[in-house]
Amino acid sequence: MENKLERKPAVSTKLSDESFITFFMIGVLIVLFVLACFVVPNFYRTQNMINLVTNNWFYIVLGIGVSFLLITGNFDMSVGGNIALTAVLSVYFCQAATGSPNDLANGLGLPYPVAIGLALLCAMSVGALNAFFIARLKVPSIIVTLGTMMLARGTAQVVTEGAQRNTSLPDVFGMLGSMGIPGTTIKLAVLVMLALVIIALIVEKRTVFGRRIYLIGANPKAARLSGISVERYLTALYILSALLAGIAGILLASEFRSGMSGQATGYEFDALVISLLGGVSIAGGFGSVGGMFVGALILAVVKSSATGLLLSPNWQFTLKGIVTFIAIIAQRYALDKRRG
Amino acid sequence: MNSQEHTDVINAKEKTLRQQFDQSAAVRSVIKQFYIYVVLALIVLVLSVVKLDQVSLFGRGSFLSPDSLINLLRSSVPILTLSAPFTLLMISGYIDLSVGSAMSLSAVVFAWLILNGFSFLPTLGLTLILGIVLGSFNGLLVMKLRITPVIATLVTLNLFKGIALLIVPNNLSAIKGSAQQPMPAWINDYGRQEVFLGLPWAFWIGVLMIIVLIIVQRRTLLGKYAAAIGGNRTAAELSGINAVKYVWVLYIVLGLCAALAGMARASYMSLGDPLSGDGMETNCIIAVLLGGTSFSGGEGSVAKTIIGALIIVCVTVGLLTVIPAYWQTVAKGTVLIVAVVLNHLLVREKVKA
Repeated sequence: MENKLERKPAVSTKLSDESFITFFMIGVLIVLFVLACFVVPNFYRTQNMINLVTNNWFYIVLGIGVSFLLITGNFDMSVGGNIALTAVLSVYFCQAATGSPNDLANGLGLPYPVAIGLALLCAMSVGALNAFFIARLKVPSIIVTLGTMMLARGTAQVVTEGAQRNTSLPDVFGMLGSMGIPGTTIKLAVLVMLALVIIALIVEKRTVFGRRIYLIGANPKAARLSGISVERYLTALYILSALLAGIAGILLASEFRSGMSGQATGYEFDALVISLLGGVSIAGGFGSVGGMFVGALILAVVKSSATGLLLSPNWQFTLKGIVTFIAIIAQRYALDKRRG
Repeated sequence: MNSQEHTDVINAKEKTLRQQFDQSAAVRSVIKQFYIYVVLALIVLVLSVVKLDQVSLFGRGSFLSPDSLINLLRSSVPILTLSAPFTLLMISGYIDLSVGSAMSLSAVVFAWLILNGFSFLPTLGLTLILGIVLGSFNGLLVMKLRITPVIATLVTLNLFKGIALLIVPNNLSAIKGSAQQPMPAWINDYGRQEVFLGLPWAFWIGVLMIIVLIIVQRRTLLGKYAAAIGGNRTAAELSGINAVKYVWVLYIVLGLCAALAGMARASYMSLGDPLSGDGMETNCIIAVLLGGTSFSGGEGSVAKTIIGALIIVCVTVGLLTVIPAYWQTVAKGTVLIVAVVLNHLLVREKVKA
């Protein structure tokens, strides 16, 4: 014990442990990428590298909220359900009230901006519900968010009668999803994702709010004693996470011009996995959005090479599981080595 | 004299106050002890009054007729088998979200072994060994590698499900018999064949597990240690309890029960469905919360969890009669949130008092 305390200052590099893990995972990413280039046909092409980012923007958007919450020591499993909820509701609010006998063709006929606003509000109310139970009643976050996940997805299923809504939509509905940089495959959604990541990085590193999130995660009692309202921070983070899921849901609905109740099934797990791959620790107070971004790329490389090697889609579950365990154990080992 | 009177007055006051306090605490503890039985009785009452003829499950009669009760109990075997060990694990302050996937994987392996010509005993043995391996893997991750229980078991949830999906051939949705390779008829022996009171082996073995686990919780050191570890792990370890060992054992018992539940389901359906256990972890959580086990561990009761499990089964069946299938998810989510609130009101208040 004493030995460890004495040794600690001896590692007087300027790199923080978080940056160390991020660089460690960047190294892993490069190794995996080079490996994939040799093994998987056509993996080295520029278009494929771009696709690695552009096909996974929604995980990264979700990952921002989920990582912040993980840093405070809380889970949010309701994000996938929230995507389905906002996607379906934005369609339902926007569909014209035609009065046709098919229930699924009848909406509320609201203007698109109003429809988006209301759908986002609904998503945020799910976040507020999470926050009420977790921050006020002190119920473990995993139990509450499993329940609100079912509430959100269940509502989407009720609105779509278990299927999807995609008829009598105004033309403006598909605009957000089809916009993008001309001549490339980069869509508006990808730019939104990049902007959100940059904002999140600034919030995390340069604002009081961001630094206090780490304090709450590292020691909630100390945070409370030093005058931080932990309840308020958790509430803000849960609503933020729900809002990010809502944005993803609206963009996805616009892209497909459809609100599917089965949209984003299991995305909550992927968001959690990329945060863990990026070194975010549930033990609290450790991790970064930058790391999460690297984690998302690692998962993208793994998934993409599995597809490239013509493995059946059923391999995805197993691969994700194995990669996550290896990453958690490798990160801990690397940190222990570094700390001596 | 004066001071003596004074003391008497104070004593009397204190006595009445204490009585009032005792009364409210007593009322609360009575509510806490018996509310779940009342809830179950009410649900059964409602179900037996409401007409259920239109539902195929009850096509043979009312809710309380022997046939429909047998059907109900038969379909509730997996949740009954799983929720008992799940409670013990939650009492010790740990959780296993992978129970559903472990059950699916066992069901798939069970069906695969039978389809490929294994006889009954080897199939039974291998599936149970698989359950033990899955449980010890969870225990290894959580107790030895010290990965947070929720994360470790969420990942194994996907891992086990993935393996189950990989075992099933690409063009099929489940392991089932075909014209060239028919499923032997004796696959039904465990989960469907009536052996006693119209109920199959799977049910009675589940009941046996429940009785054993109730005794374990109330009368054995393992049960006491689980509560001690859940109450305060550091204190428990300082007083010489080997937390790693005992919680690991609980994970293994849960894995074993997941294998039993998977076998029951596969044997009942005559096929190995890789999604048969989906959502079982939420069912278990709801049952445990309804039964009044505290979220953070330390106290709880296996027997009450079983009542909670029966409530879920009744509610699910009852809901199926009145609402379309696409209302199910939202209904289940609502039940979970209601269970959280009930648990908060009853368990937390008592701790405060």
